[in-house]
Amino acid sequence: MTRRRLALVGAVLLVAACVERLTAPGRCPDYCPSGQITIVDTLLTTSINRDSSYRGYVLAYEAALMLAAHVPGTTDTLDSRPIFRINGYGSRLRISTADTSTGAILGADSARLQLYVLRRDTATHNLTLRFYRLPITIDSSTTFGSVVPFTDSLRSVNIDTLLAQPGRKDTLTGDSVVVDTINNRLVLSLKLDSVAARYVGTDSGTVAYGLRIAADTPASIALGKGSIGPVLQWYLRADSLGTPVARKPGALGAAFASFVFAPPPAPLDSTLAVGGVPSARSLLRVTFPKVIRDSSQIIRATLFLVPAVRARGAPADSFVIEARTVLADFGGKSPIDARVGDTTVIHVGATDTVKTDTVKIEVTNLLQLWAADSTHPTAILLRAQAEAQFLGEIRFYPSIAPAFRPTLQVTFVRAFPFGEP
Amino acid sequence: MKRADRCTGGRAVGTAVLAAAFLTASPPVRLSGQDSQFGIRGLGTPGRWESVRSRSTGGAFAPFDPLSQLTEAPLADIGQLTATAAGGTSHRDVAVGGTTAALRSTRFPLMGVAGPVGPRLAVAAGFTTYLDKSWDVWMRDSVLLRDVLQRYIDELTSDGSVADVRLAVASRLSRRIAIGAGVHVLAGSTRMTAERRFDDSTFHSVQQSAEVRYDGFGVSGSVLLGLAPGLTLSGWARSDSRLRAKVADTTSAVTDLPRMAGGGLLFAPSPSARFAASAVWRSWSQAGAGAFDTWSWSAGAEFAFRRMPIRLGARSGQMPFGPGTKAPTEVAGSLGIGRAFAQGRALIDVGLERLERRAGGGSLTERVWTVLVGLTVRP
Repeated sequence: MTRRRLALVGAVLLVAACVERLTAPGRCPDYCPSGQITIVDTLLTTSINRDSSYRGYVLAYEAALMLAAHVPGTTDTLDSRPIFRINGYGSRLRISTADTSTGAILGADSARLQLYVLRRDTATHNLTLRFYRLPITIDSSTTFGSVVPFTDSLRSVNIDTLLAQPGRKDTLTGDSVVVDTINNRLVLSLKLDSVAARYVGTDSGTVAYGLRIAADTPASIALGKGSIGPVLQWYLRADSLGTPVARKPGALGAAFASFVFAPPPAPLDSTLAVGGVPSARSLLRVTFPKVIRDSSQIIRATLFLVPAVRARGAPADSFVIEARTVLADFGGKSPIDARVGDTTVIHVGATDTVKTDTVKIEVTNLLQLWAADSTHPTAILLRAQAEAQFLGEIRFYPSIAPAFRPTLQVTFVRAFPFGEP
Repeated sequence: MKRADRCTGGRAVGTAVLAAAFLTASPPVRLSGQDSQFGIRGLGTPGRWESVRSRSTGGAFAPFDPLSQLTEAPLADIGQLTATAAGGTSHRDVAVGGTTAALRSTRFPLMGVAGPVGPRLAVAAGFTTYLDKSWDVWMRDSVLLRDVLQRYIDELTSDGSVADVRLAVASRLSRRIAIGAGVHVLAGSTRMTAERRFDDSTFHSVQQSAEVRYDGFGVSGSVLLGLAPGLTLSGWARSDSRLRAKVADTTSAVTDLPRMAGGGLLFAPSPSARFAASAVWRSWSQAGAGAFDTWSWSAGAEFAFRRMPIRLGARSGQMPFGPGTKAPTEVAGSLGIGRAFAQGRALIDVGLERLERRAGGGSLTERVWTVLVGLTVRP
């Protein structure tokens, strides 16, 4: 029995003894392997060629946001105005929930318009929103010139004043604002009186509004669309067997939401345009050296781009551009490889030096993918990460500008000399 | 009486099963001898081709031990089919550059089977560690990259060894003379990795790995001479060709391996006391720069104490790889005991070894405690 216990203890000890701990500090070169990790850093100045730009991927009415901006420039003013249309209930309204009888809509007592402000610069003061009534015919073909100037003014609201009110409610105008700190946005609720909220039965109650902004400094905000787009709550009067009755039907969302702006983006030229509305992309084709592809491990790759035209906009319009690779090189219609990408921020309107500062994008992931898959096209596609959600567009010097052409700096490791004593 | 027979027979079977498990179940990567930082720069750390019994005597009994794979001639006296295996756990303190690291490893450095095939002929097959190549070192350093000093940590690892697979034959020519010869196939592999992690995460980590395969060939011969009753002289020699390293079927290095020769003297004045001494020379310097020819010697004794022999020994010598112009040295003391079970059909040997290795300039010192366990079965 004692021997069995001893055997058991011995077996346990034997198992416990099978533990490896071999990691020790090395003192090189005396007590290190003769082979070392060799790092090479090289600047590929002529590897990017046949670059070109394309525009029109995301149009204003396809954008996820409505952009409002008023940014005075030295020669012109960037003016962007959201426009949206909300279809009505028609000329008649169901009077009772008990039956299907309807009554003619006599008019509106008031309405409440709700807007989501998704992006704004808190450093911009006296931010004022001015609302205008627009023709209900606005659609995706509407241009800045076809609706501007806005003439039928409804009312205006100063966001800073409203935020300063107790409870963020203006008891005089009936406006209120909710600060959603979780989603980092403002929910604006504006009261439209019977004059501003004009329900026209012959137009089926359809209304269209336009919006301008102004502030003490260059101003730029973004309003929500779709599920977080404009919502209109009508307070109507309907005819119930000759008696006007008040009704509050369900709130209505925007059937169409877009924005118009001026001046339009400059036509594409030989420079590499990225961003803007409609969104522009640039394709850079890279000659990937075989010495890097075949026998090394890339640990860092940086794309250097020299801006030719600075991005316009307010500081809040700083945007992110991303470098991605493509699954196949079909020029402007190249399908994007969504697996890997690298990004950098374009700081809009920070200082004048932005114009001359070189933009660096870490593209290590892309080059590692190329090294791993030799069949992958070696092309870099530059685009705004949120296309058509910023008015800013940056243009870089192309490869035909020898002094400012795009370059790649690649840091890679040569194959370790395994097996050498 | 019958019950006692059944009991001892059962033990023998159990021990044989345990030995078989030892011989077959251990993973090849663990078939290495003893790790050392001195082997990182060179080919590796040479293994000890000794059974636990011989190693407990400092290695002095190895030239006379049929279960050690140092010489072949003692196989002539093995008498019956015998299998053996050895395992050891080492606790190693490495002092280098003002820091000390406590390391630990478990190895199974020797396995073999031997037995007579005729009245005067015995054969053996087995393997032992020729070169241990398991290590893991890290170092902190910096490099100027893109005009900025980038700090990083490198970690280089190697896990594996080169095994010496031996086929040996021995014959007792006369009462005084026995001879033996063996062929050795060197084979093994190491899984090597090289990693670099930068403090600045903008630089991705470097991670490369490869499996390096090794092969080589060697021959050996040995002789035992009975000089007088209780006095035996042993001599042996061995020559290995070269060690070829291949990475992905491409030869990355070919290194000449040493020739070696050694001898020993065994003195047994009585059945209960045996003394031995041995010396070995190896021409490791032909392995390239940073390699040295080595001498080593050992002396030991074994005393029969009832059914449990007590062994002790000491050895000293040189390590083949190291920096500078002088070979690193090592010195060790050891002791051990043995115990026979199942009417002598199974033997367990336990040994304890204290070893110190030191570089010429004292830049590296290793102090090692090793616990050894050997199992021998004679079914």
